[in-house]
Amino acid sequence: MAEPSGERPAGEPPPAAGGPGRLLVAVYGVFALATGARAVVQLATRYAEAPVAYLLSALAAAVYVVATVALARGGRRTALVAITVELVGVLVVGTLSLLEPAAFPDETVWSAYGRGYLFIPLVLPVAGLLWLRRTARTPSR
Amino acid sequence: MTPVLVVAVTVAAALLTLAGIASTLARRRIGLLHLAGTAVLEALLLVQAVLAVVRLVQGERPADTPTFLGYLAGIVLLPVAGALWARSEPTRWAGSVLAVAAAAVGVMVWRLQQLWEATGG
Repeated sequence: MAEPSGERPAGEPPPAAGGPGRLLVAVYGVFALATGARAVVQLATRYAEAPVAYLLSALAAAVYVVATVALARGGRRTALVAITVELVGVLVVGTLSLLEPAAFPDETVWSAYGRGYLFIPLVLPVAGLLWLRRTARTPSR
Repeated sequence: MTPVLVVAVTVAAALLTLAGIASTLARRRIGLLHLAGTAVLEALLLVQAVLAVVRLVQGERPADTPTFLGYLAGIVLLPVAGALWARSEPTRWAGSVLAVAAAAVGVMVWRLQQLWEATGG
């Protein structure tokens, strides 16, 4: 849900989505699309092979979709929760996938801290949290 | 899915990415150059998509056909989505948005090539 943001004139994008936030929304959008499509294909065609990995992929995709929508619409609290889940997810799954490779017969988005995706899954939540913090301090941007 | 086309798409995508970043750094909105670049990229992608579909119809099958088709559809839509968003974006960040879309195309085209080469039964 987007929180109402009082003073902002109509038509202007919500602060968290303005300026460089646009870039963040764009990257999140691409990720939501890429991981979502991949998860759907994996679950639909070979769910039995690696259910845990594929369900995790689907969860990751859902988190990206929520984060994208929340950032785009200026839902700061939702974005914060989604991005935090994302950071915890990539750290936990990344660590587990290195310690217990047998538990993950196929790659997930978050395996090995997102190595299959150029480590963007690791960088993205950090960038997202920094951005949310910065826009909170200067709400006029 | 010919290597020449993959390289051409990569070059077009890289140039468009640079042009997008440049316009953001110059604090300008996107111009005709960006739209022309997007059009070239999209044209290359459409040629590639048609060729791929023709070969699929002729009976060639990548090992992971559903994923291949997903990428094929996604990659064609990306520049369009990026350009539409960039055009409606009134700030200098329009170029960045386009750059993200173009960079994603540049990566996806190689993944698409990989998927195609893993030919299944």
